[in-house]
Amino acid sequence: MDPETQAAVDELRKLITMSGTINMEIFYWWCTAIMVMIHAGFLAYEMGASRVKNALASGVKNILAFAFIVPTFFLFGWWIYLAFPGGFTIDEAGVAGLPWSANMGPNLTDNASGVFWAAFTMFAATTASILSGSLIERIRLSAFIILAVLLGSVIWILAAAWGWHPAGWLHTKLGLHDVAAAGCVHVIAGFFALGVIINLGPRIGRFAPDGTPMEIPGHSAPMTMIGLMMIIVGFFGFLGGCIIYVTGDQWINIYGQPATLSAFAFNTLMSFAGGIIGCFLMTRDPFWMMSGALAGIISAASGLDVYHPALAFLIGFAGGCIIPKVQDMLIKLKIDDAVGAFAVHGAAGAWSLVAAGIFASGYPSAAGPDSSLYGQLVSLAVFASLGFIPGFVVSYVLKLFGLLRITPGAEIAGLDLVEIPLKPYPEGLTPSTNGNGHAAPQGVPAE
Amino acid sequence: MNGSPVTAWEGTEAYFTFADRPFLIVVALVLTAIVTVGVIVHSAKHETKAFRRFP
Repeated sequence: MDPETQAAVDELRKLITMSGTINMEIFYWWCTAIMVMIHAGFLAYEMGASRVKNALASGVKNILAFAFIVPTFFLFGWWIYLAFPGGFTIDEAGVAGLPWSANMGPNLTDNASGVFWAAFTMFAATTASILSGSLIERIRLSAFIILAVLLGSVIWILAAAWGWHPAGWLHTKLGLHDVAAAGCVHVIAGFFALGVIINLGPRIGRFAPDGTPMEIPGHSAPMTMIGLMMIIVGFFGFLGGCIIYVTGDQWINIYGQPATLSAFAFNTLMSFAGGIIGCFLMTRDPFWMMSGALAGIISAASGLDVYHPALAFLIGFAGGCIIPKVQDMLIKLKIDDAVGAFAVHGAAGAWSLVAAGIFASGYPSAAGPDSSLYGQLVSLAVFASLGFIPGFVVSYVLKLFGLLRITPGAEIAGLDLVEIPLKPYPEGLTPSTNGNGHAAPQGVPAE
Repeated sequence: MNGSPVTAWEGTEAYFTFADRPFLIVVALVLTAIVTVGVIVHSAKHETKAFRRFP
């Protein structure tokens, strides 16, 4: 090749590389933006699921989870991800995630760190939001922030380093296949929430003295349903953030295996539909149908890149059938999970890992053994323990010091009155509830 | 205050404010940590005070 042609080829190669880099940045930028919709959805969902006397306090809790996750994930969360793929030993690669690293700020030679950090920060805030809903109407705000930071900026990201990282030991030793983070996000958050709500106890009035469960309806079912649909929209950003853009080559999943965004598109929608239909069959309840949509996607998340769409539908359908039963089981145990977070995230996430073991064993990986049911089950046990134990222990310590739960007087009066300098609804438009917060009796229709 | 660590863009890598002065980066990080933890502590105290009216 003559020098002039060589120079032109080099210039062209440089242009393609830079174009690919910019496209990568743009892709994750918009994934992150769409993921913010998850938090808008959780905000609406939790406020709607709260009684009117707690509507704004639930919203404040959700907003602050987001706000405190961002700086703490900057200070140590990203470092944990890069430093701990091998377990509890510190990998040298962690240096790039230290908050004083040249990579952790504007840098003309690093187009990746900022957008990946941002996407992972949104994942972190999602885990904290999952926890948030289960604790509404009785947890102290400060206790919640501590637990949210622990979950979002430490526990989930440690789990991600282990199981959602190309060098994570659950993948390299056990062949874990969990492309859309059912384990490190949903199982972790669901089991963490379970550990906390056991110590926190049920809301006053949730169970009668003889143990009979009493419904405590939120003040706006439509708001919860809209919120859930917004979460689904945000999930498309979340799932887009689960696949790696490679300039000049095929997409790869987080483990470096070839994948396509089309596979994600097929299986996200099919499992979404399956989850709704499963919950519709089991409950006929619109709240659970929308929760079923989430559970359906989560159920197929582990194998989202490899399932046949019909199989993804069936796995989502099974997830939708399972979660109301899990919630019933918790109620029988007198555990008050106000929004079914354990059922939707913990149980569906667990099913997702198991389903990938049953249906997607044998996929090869350059970095570890083939995927297998054994690897999925052991990984599930690791994720469940890593979620449950810190949630239970830290909330127990907070409880010992009287820092976990609000006073009975504040709970009966409502947190908005106690803590929030604002009213949720104008005078005369307040949704009707009676004194104990249960739905007021309906008026007798005129004959 | 001149925060720029660069005087030209050619060959520039990290160009965030005070990239050439690690002490100031550490000060900013420590202050961030203090604000984050401090507001949680302040919030806990505020709640305790508010809950006294609703035992």
